[in-house]
Amino acid sequence: MRLLASIIIVFTAVASLPAQDFAGIQFHGFVTQGFVFSSHNNYLTMQTSSGSLQWTEGVFSVSDTISDNLRVGIQLHMFQLGQLGGPNIRVDWASGDYRINDYLGFRGGKVKTVMGLFNDSQDVDAIFLWTLLPQCSYPVDNEGFFLSHLGGEAYGYIPLGKRSGKLRYVGYAGYSYLPLDEGYIKQISDAGLTFTNEPSGKTYGGDLRWETPLKGLLVGYSPMVLGLSGTAPGGSLLVPTFFMSASYAQFTRGKFYLGTEYDKAPYNEFLTLGQQQIYFPTDARAWYVMGSYRLTKRFQAGSYYSHYINKALDTSLPANYSKDFVLSERYDFNSYFYAKIEDHFLHGTGLGYYQSTNPNGLQTNSNILAAKIGFSF
Amino acid sequence: MLAFLACAGAANAQDVIFVANRDVQVSAISASDLRAIFTGEKTRFADGSHAVPVILKGGPAHEVFVKNYCRETPEEFRAQWRKAIFTGQGAMPRAFDSESALIAYVAATSGAIGYVSRVSSAASVKTLAPEK
Repeated sequence: MRLLASIIIVFTAVASLPAQDFAGIQFHGFVTQGFVFSSHNNYLTMQTSSGSLQWTEGVFSVSDTISDNLRVGIQLHMFQLGQLGGPNIRVDWASGDYRINDYLGFRGGKVKTVMGLFNDSQDVDAIFLWTLLPQCSYPVDNEGFFLSHLGGEAYGYIPLGKRSGKLRYVGYAGYSYLPLDEGYIKQISDAGLTFTNEPSGKTYGGDLRWETPLKGLLVGYSPMVLGLSGTAPGGSLLVPTFFMSASYAQFTRGKFYLGTEYDKAPYNEFLTLGQQQIYFPTDARAWYVMGSYRLTKRFQAGSYYSHYINKALDTSLPANYSKDFVLSERYDFNSYFYAKIEDHFLHGTGLGYYQSTNPNGLQTNSNILAAKIGFSF
Repeated sequence: MLAFLACAGAANAQDVIFVANRDVQVSAISASDLRAIFTGEKTRFADGSHAVPVILKGGPAHEVFVKNYCRETPEEFRAQWRKAIFTGQGAMPRAFDSESALIAYVAATSGAIGYVSRVSSAASVKTLAPEK
């Protein structure tokens, strides 16, 4: 709650400058407070079985349009999710963006990684109906690793003619870092290996999305190659270079939205603890389908189904799958304030659960109520 | 030109009038270019000159513009820009409470383009005819 108080003070001060610009400089931000209650198990490192408010997030960004072609900016991010995150301020992105023309531009620095429908925007709560995005593809306890990379990207679009739509593209290369205050590191720490420096690895990939001639229909594909390594006192982590991909489509028409995505990530993780080497094979297959409708200007409702399995292991075991049926509602009080509420009917324990907050084991099924209030400017 | 402006003094309830700084060389603009400029996809007019889109914060003209030219609801339009801002991919167009303030800014800003429900013949801006 001290974190929340600090964020509110900063945002209240900045909100007196309501998203205005001073000769090209813009300030924006948002802050959210969440609540999660679960019928069984403790979810996302929070004590959710007794109801938890340990989910607070704040973002503040500054950008400056220096010339017609050049823009620079930085975004700071602070979050607390149960035992994850904390008072440390993280740089979400910090980049220079040089746009040669409408067909080609370059960004360099720490840039958000475009992958699938929502990877680069998964931490922008204000734009979503969903309190939690499909956890099979966008796990909130591990969003930092895939969210951005240190490097550069080329982006733009290619018009394909009036009858063929247009193609948007992004190609990038750089380094990804595994944040020390997120879920992967916590799980490794629970296994007995504590990192003091962020494991990292080279990454490169891209995204192609076709805005089809059918108004509102978009289809896309995002390939990515990455690896990861790091050493800690008493051991090391190695994930040899692997290929992952996301295929997706969305359709928007007026107040309707439909979206779907299929992700594939086969990789091997080698954890060395002293003389002992532990091998974790993973062949993650994830998909979701979602739909929503805006019933009034202020009220939106929707649903999704999220499906995850680890094909490298016995998929009949609850620890190797996670199937989540979700009902969501969002109410916008005005352009700045909103509230969300969401019901999860979760089957399987493959995602979002930690031994440290579930010392007595896990039950296969749990119903979860997640709610959030947010302010964005 | 004045006669044209006088004729274009008020849009019907189903449409808006596009106004631009007088240094904007194009006199007509396609609906797809309008959408691309106001959603941040394009930053230039068809002649290659830099475009500076400006918007209204709300109201009937904003709703008509978003619906007719961006094919979105105002809420979707706002969400798309928020996405661009918070992913580092764009800067929000300057937004105005009133049409008169928008017109004054467009008149004073090179490359600026905006939309209003009506414009007086004396306004120091040019109007752009959208090609549908």
